[in-house]
Amino acid sequence: MISVRRLHLRNFRSYEELDLELSPGLTAIVGDNGNGKTNLIESIGFLSRLSSFRGASTDALVRVGAEEMVVRGEILCGDREVLIEVEIPRHGRMRVLVNKQRLAKRGDLAEVMTTTVFSPDDLEIVKGGPAGRRQYLDDVLVDVHPKNDAACSDFAKVLRQRNALLKQMSGRRSPEAELTLDVWDHRLTEVGERLAVLRTKIAQQLTPFVDEAYALVSGGLNGGRSDVRLQYVSGWAATGLAEALRDCRVDDIRRGVSTVGPHRDDLALGIGGLPVRTHASQGEQRSMVLALRLASHRLVTAARGEAPVLLLDDVFSELDDRRSVALLSSLPEGQKFLTSASALPTGAVADVTVMINESRATVC
Amino acid sequence: MADYAHSIQELIDAFGRLPGIGPKSAQRITFHLLKVDKVESQRLVSAIAAAVEKVRFCSRCFNLAESDLCSICTDPQRDRHVLCVVEEPRDVVAIERTREFKGMYHVLGGAIDHLQGVGPDQLKIRELLGRVSDEGVTEVIVCTNPNIEGEATALYLQRVLDVPGLTVSRIASGLPVGGDLEYADELTLGRAIEGRRVIGGDSRAIAEDVPIHR
Repeated sequence: MISVRRLHLRNFRSYEELDLELSPGLTAIVGDNGNGKTNLIESIGFLSRLSSFRGASTDALVRVGAEEMVVRGEILCGDREVLIEVEIPRHGRMRVLVNKQRLAKRGDLAEVMTTTVFSPDDLEIVKGGPAGRRQYLDDVLVDVHPKNDAACSDFAKVLRQRNALLKQMSGRRSPEAELTLDVWDHRLTEVGERLAVLRTKIAQQLTPFVDEAYALVSGGLNGGRSDVRLQYVSGWAATGLAEALRDCRVDDIRRGVSTVGPHRDDLALGIGGLPVRTHASQGEQRSMVLALRLASHRLVTAARGEAPVLLLDDVFSELDDRRSVALLSSLPEGQKFLTSASALPTGAVADVTVMINESRATVC
Repeated sequence: MADYAHSIQELIDAFGRLPGIGPKSAQRITFHLLKVDKVESQRLVSAIAAAVEKVRFCSRCFNLAESDLCSICTDPQRDRHVLCVVEEPRDVVAIERTREFKGMYHVLGGAIDHLQGVGPDQLKIRELLGRVSDEGVTEVIVCTNPNIEGEATALYLQRVLDVPGLTVSRIASGLPVGGDLEYADELTLGRAIEGRRVIGGDSRAIAEDVPIHR
């Protein structure tokens, strides 16, 4: 299990100074809107990914008027004690120290600190375009095993090179340019098929976990089964990527961009045989997003042998009271934080409640 | 902040344009040069002038040279049948330090990188093909970097060097000598297992799911 034992913030978002000892169990962060609840769990998420889960630039994280922000976390990863310190000056580069040593590679941080984040914005995964769903799968891949990051970034690099070449050809075909295109097709096939295999496998592995989590957050209908399906869909699966690239070559050259490959794939989500995006109700879609995040938490726990820190932002606004209580009573093992504008639903108990008022924390 | 005199600012800017030197370092070097003995800074001036004057690209292999051909191309002891293809002149220096390679070199001047506007035409590939057909080369060792651009360049060379009687080989990837297995990253370790060598026993009974590269 990974847990944050102590958190220290200086000039992070709305927090001028904060020093909190944290419980290894469930912490409820309660307070009115605009007081800094999300900022608090954002800082915990920042310790694992070095970027904001709300997609904010690091510049936006430095408190207005301050010159430098600091996030410091004492982490317990299994029985290993790790101190992570991140400093961002308003002008200049981020500095990350792990046990007082400079962090060599960003990816190395995932070895000691991983978080699973649910945020209300995640609804886009279900309702939005395929890019969000591909990103969800890639995030799970990297969380399950940090080395999968290479598969994702290699594919992105090769794709960028191929697209740059297509753009330079500006619609004209020539034997020389097409010989170079052959080379990139070969490489794109290699790294693309590897990535697609990884995504397909992870979607399969996620399915039972999503099914179980969905049954839970949707209120335990259908005797705990909900017939959820996750299916990775490649437009090129029937022919293989090499042949699909050949077939699309004329079109690719004319349009100056790669029109087929894993960057155009999708993750199809279904409940009871119907697609969630078009056929599920608003409530079902909300349950689905939450189920996707809870499932990835379970899968990462199973794969790594350590439960990541679970951050649930404003999760009750997505659920009615009955489902909220059901969710709380069966949260996975490990350290968990949740934010709520209202008091916890009746029947729900947190190990610690932190009241946030104008970016000051009171532990109850 | 007071502005520097024109000639000082000029010098700081000139240093600042060099690779690996930021504005702070550029300033530090400039003030150091102005402070030290004039003879010392004159020595630097003449070293730069001499290098710029004398150094050019070898007309055969495109390594750095002080005359038409570089010192390796004019060395009669070297094996002219083997060509080692590298991206940059500094890679020649790196391989020379091993003292393991006795053949000739060919410097491409980079790797295929369309994002930087570098395609095969911008590299010395046509010249390489000319040398292969004219100089009786029997093996080309492709020593481009093991990254996305270097691998793509290697693959391109593999395709255009499809010449009868010519062996094209790729430098191996694997573990650094003197290192520990446990500290190797997964990618390198994976490549090392993939590219392992048989050292004994029955070489035919090798596990099929882990292909061996010869």
